[in-house]
Amino acid sequence: MALRDAAIVAYAETKIVEKSEVDVWELSAQILEELLDKTGLEKGEIDGLILSSSQTGAGNNFWSQTTADQLSLEVDFCQMVDIGGCSPAGAVARAAAAINAGLCTTVLCLYSDTQVRENNNRPRSFALEWTQPLGYLGPPAAFGLLSKRYEHQFGLDYRALGKLAVAQREHAVLNDLACEKLRKRITVDDYINSRMINDPIRLLDSVMVCDGASGLIVTSRKNAEKKGFTKCVVPIGYGERTIYNASEAVVDPSMTGHKPAGEKAFKQAGMTPKDIASFHPYDDFIIAMMMQLEMLGFCKHGQGSAFINETDFLYTGDLPLNTGGGQISAGQVGLAGGGTNLIEAVRQLFGEGGPRQVKNTSNALVTGIGGIPYGRNWATSVVMILTPNS
Amino acid sequence: MTAINDTLNIPRQPSAPRTFSKRYWDGTREKKVFLQYDKKTGKYQFYPRANSIYTGRRSDIEWREVSGKGEVFTFTIARRCREPFRGHEPFFIVLVTLDEGVNVMANVVNCSLEEMKIGLRMKPYWHPLPDGTNLLMFEPDRG
Repeated sequence: MALRDAAIVAYAETKIVEKSEVDVWELSAQILEELLDKTGLEKGEIDGLILSSSQTGAGNNFWSQTTADQLSLEVDFCQMVDIGGCSPAGAVARAAAAINAGLCTTVLCLYSDTQVRENNNRPRSFALEWTQPLGYLGPPAAFGLLSKRYEHQFGLDYRALGKLAVAQREHAVLNDLACEKLRKRITVDDYINSRMINDPIRLLDSVMVCDGASGLIVTSRKNAEKKGFTKCVVPIGYGERTIYNASEAVVDPSMTGHKPAGEKAFKQAGMTPKDIASFHPYDDFIIAMMMQLEMLGFCKHGQGSAFINETDFLYTGDLPLNTGGGQISAGQVGLAGGGTNLIEAVRQLFGEGGPRQVKNTSNALVTGIGGIPYGRNWATSVVMILTPNS
Repeated sequence: MTAINDTLNIPRQPSAPRTFSKRYWDGTREKKVFLQYDKKTGKYQFYPRANSIYTGRRSDIEWREVSGKGEVFTFTIARRCREPFRGHEPFFIVLVTLDEGVNVMANVVNCSLEEMKIGLRMKPYWHPLPDGTNLLMFEPDRG
């Protein structure tokens, strides 16, 4: 797959807020306008639209075409990606695939969700039958079960997890677009002492659901050159896995789809974890980042805590981590939240990180996590490696 | 001994079977655990599905009664919940690996915080639901 024949030529992101004062389509229109301003494109040049999942859009089976209509976009390719937190990075891969297949040339990838203001989700899953009768709170309970099992198998250094929480907060303080409520420094002790939600998951392990939007313009590299986009970011490796170990009745929840997805992405990119300049893992819970460090091969399986203790994750450190604060410290924009990790990676590679700009902009690794199945870890894992064109 | 809510006083909805899980819920009326069994691979699966997780085929599935005994695979303590569980925290949510090799999620009765651990042997405890079916819960198997 010629993933690298596509290029991200612009990104946009709104402020992340506890509850949006405006409609989801108004946020979407803000993203579109910012992208038109940045690229100088006319809206008629956008011939593809790919949306992330959206809790606000969940009540509408025609979400992508309705949104195209609302934004008056006439397109040759129109779809929503419904793999939850993986859908923003997944949208870029699908944009590249659609461009490569000749279906369209210039795609608006749009990630808008106002879950707090308007949640239309009515899940049809195992939940009503198998978990709702147990008082199971969804993701926090799932991560409580997962963490306890991880601890049993390998031991778990909670102060190491706290170190990741602290680093992300430092970054959120430097990010004007992060949710204001979260832009306060914390210490490892604050993390350890935060109240338990689902033992051993604490408040400061968890994301706070917020509202907001982000987006990207993806076009063919040929068109990017023709249009004179000197700065762009190219996806050079991508892997995606849904329902890892689907044929097993009892799975080891410390093993995730990021293992096969990462192997594929690294192979395509011709890289190893040692080459990664900054790391932007999907962060619904702190432990998920540690598990991704293991599954992607930054360290051995079960050695995540030790690796964290010996690594500096600040934007000035040896492996800058979610330099905008990630979702845990910037706020989770509903099912569009993966856009926060992705946009920050692209921003850094554009060299527009401002007070938190990383030194090494040779590449960035972004991941996604989407969906929580019964008694497993998560449903979809994605891994994308990005590099600037120059 | 640290008390933890057994959740038995929380009002629960009737069961919500799908066409392919009805056999399981019918079994609970007689306090029996029925699991789906794949004839080709000789393996069990849970939760009930419309097909085999091993072969993908619907016709490979049959139902077998099992003891419902097993051991704790992992657990969490729920401390903040939505209605109708709000105010009844803390309580356990466990994954129990049944002896047939499937993981079942459930609440727990007759077990203190100190006794709960991964590997603890468990047996079924049946809690009546309004439609005459029973919810599978677990208690420590001390026998």
